[in-house]
Amino acid sequence: MIFLRLAIKSLISRRMTVGLTIFAIAMSVALFLGVEKVRTGAQASFADTISDTDLIVGARSGSVQLLLYSVFRIGNATNNVSWDSYQDIAARPEVDWIVPMSLGDSHRGYRVMGTTDAFFERYRYRGGRALDFANGGRFSDLFDTVLGADVASDLGYKLGDPIIVAHGLESFTEHDDKPFRVSGILAKTGTPVDRTVLISLEGIEAIHVDWQGGAQRPGRAVSADAVRAMDLTPSAITAALVGVKSRLQVFRLQREINEYPQEPLLAILPGVALQELWGIVGVAETALIGVSAMVIATALLGMAAMIFAGLNERRREMAILRALGAGHTTIVAMLLLEATLIATVSAALGTLLLYAGLWVARPYVDAAFGLYLPINAPTIHELGFLLAVVAAAAFVSLVPAIRAYRMSLAHGMTIRS
Amino acid sequence: MRIVAAAALLLAGTTMAFAEKQRDLGAHEHGVGQLNIAIEGSEIAMELTAPGADIVGFEHPAATEKDRARIGAAIEALKKAQDLFRLTDSAQCNVISAEAELLAADEGSHEEHDHADHHEKHGHHDDHHGADRDDEHDGRAHTEFRAEYAFSCAAPAQIREIEFGYFDTFPNAQELEVQLISDLGSRGFEVMRDAPVLDLEGAI
Repeated sequence: MIFLRLAIKSLISRRMTVGLTIFAIAMSVALFLGVEKVRTGAQASFADTISDTDLIVGARSGSVQLLLYSVFRIGNATNNVSWDSYQDIAARPEVDWIVPMSLGDSHRGYRVMGTTDAFFERYRYRGGRALDFANGGRFSDLFDTVLGADVASDLGYKLGDPIIVAHGLESFTEHDDKPFRVSGILAKTGTPVDRTVLISLEGIEAIHVDWQGGAQRPGRAVSADAVRAMDLTPSAITAALVGVKSRLQVFRLQREINEYPQEPLLAILPGVALQELWGIVGVAETALIGVSAMVIATALLGMAAMIFAGLNERRREMAILRALGAGHTTIVAMLLLEATLIATVSAALGTLLLYAGLWVARPYVDAAFGLYLPINAPTIHELGFLLAVVAAAAFVSLVPAIRAYRMSLAHGMTIRS
Repeated sequence: MRIVAAAALLLAGTTMAFAEKQRDLGAHEHGVGQLNIAIEGSEIAMELTAPGADIVGFEHPAATEKDRARIGAAIEALKKAQDLFRLTDSAQCNVISAEAELLAADEGSHEEHDHADHHEKHGHHDDHHGADRDDEHDGRAHTEFRAEYAFSCAAPAQIREIEFGYFDTFPNAQELEVQLISDLGSRGFEVMRDAPVLDLEGAI
């Protein structure tokens, strides 16, 4: 006990340097834990992008690519799925519901997706949450559009505003003869739906009725009113979300679609593809963890340097201890104890900093990045990490401790000029 | 006249297209099999697809009595679901059904769709068999085993892991790519020979 009191008093007497060291280690601990939290939060948010969908069907390419364009609206489809194949799949006995998606147009940088009303019912995210309307409702007219939360807030749209859809993703040609009207705005979801302009499948067809080869056919324009009378069954879609009646039939349906003889199609399980994709993204997170581990190592080395430099100032302190009967090992134990104390306080402070930071930043991070960071008690893994920091601190302090061990009694007693 | 010619050409084109064999081969990697697991309520359905090389060590058609015996033995071994995939005991799972068959991989898709509606094609299909054999002698054809299992578990929530006796039974098998779907969505796993246990903690 006397050791502990002595160590604490000694540390307090050097509160400025010790305080700064503690702060440095605490910051590095908070950084490491923070990276870990963001990483797991990002992984969870990522996996939460789509749920309750059993299969995603698209043209045959790679599962990650299909997931990217159908769910994340990144990249493009290599091919479309013909309407006949879509009908065939929809008619299969295993299929409970199917939601078509038609991509390829844009509105001021946001992707436009043609779909049916079923999308609002069937698309689920974050463990089964359904889409909510912040304002308005579903399509009630051919030229109605529903906006994702980010589209509406970034572009300042409100209900009833007109919207002109551009042809393609990066083009200047617009479907300006057939403007859409905002009929609904979705609540924020933290998924790519927030950045999507939704229109009906027939709407997509309607704006392309008089187009050919990427341009409107001159002199053959069909007016917005005339198009309503036309048959607007699409000839192809980009992808489809499928739910099955019984989960036990998922794989049979997947195989049947993958081996569909009339058209090369691909059916993927969203969770499996998400994992595959995360495996690719995951390299960056490992790098991030590596960097923050290095920050901790630097802070701990800083602590060792601090103790080391302190030895000279504390020549007298050590000498007096020795003169009072403390042995070599006692001095070593004292120094190790100091380092352990510093590290323990740092770890506690770092954890505190992390939770304070999370508490302040969480609403902002959720709103800005759709990243939900849960505030929960430290996991076994994190506690283990904190212990490792303390152990590492004790280990690096061995260097100055051994140095002190070697210092002779006389070294401390002689008065240097 | 020209229309007739065009029509004839078109017709010739379509018949040719029909005559052409579908050239569509699935991927096939020796050592790697696929296992699909679907869990719903107390029922578990599993579906295993593995290359012939993994299961019997060869992929040529059974020419000798010995080959046929090995294929027969392999199919019997594939039907022993409780040995191949050992589910956590406390879940009290029983095998309801286990079926296994040998497919020629290059015909896999045909076989698959040959349920009822394509039966008239069967003769034609059989005619092709001789040609296919030649292919196989060239070493280009692959065979696959497929097995389907159904389990029923008294306490499915107790399932924590699956131990793969599969790798002990079939020494040529190196890896299984697992797709799993349950109440919590779908996930993918890889089970390797040197760690033949699938940890399902948090996946069901």
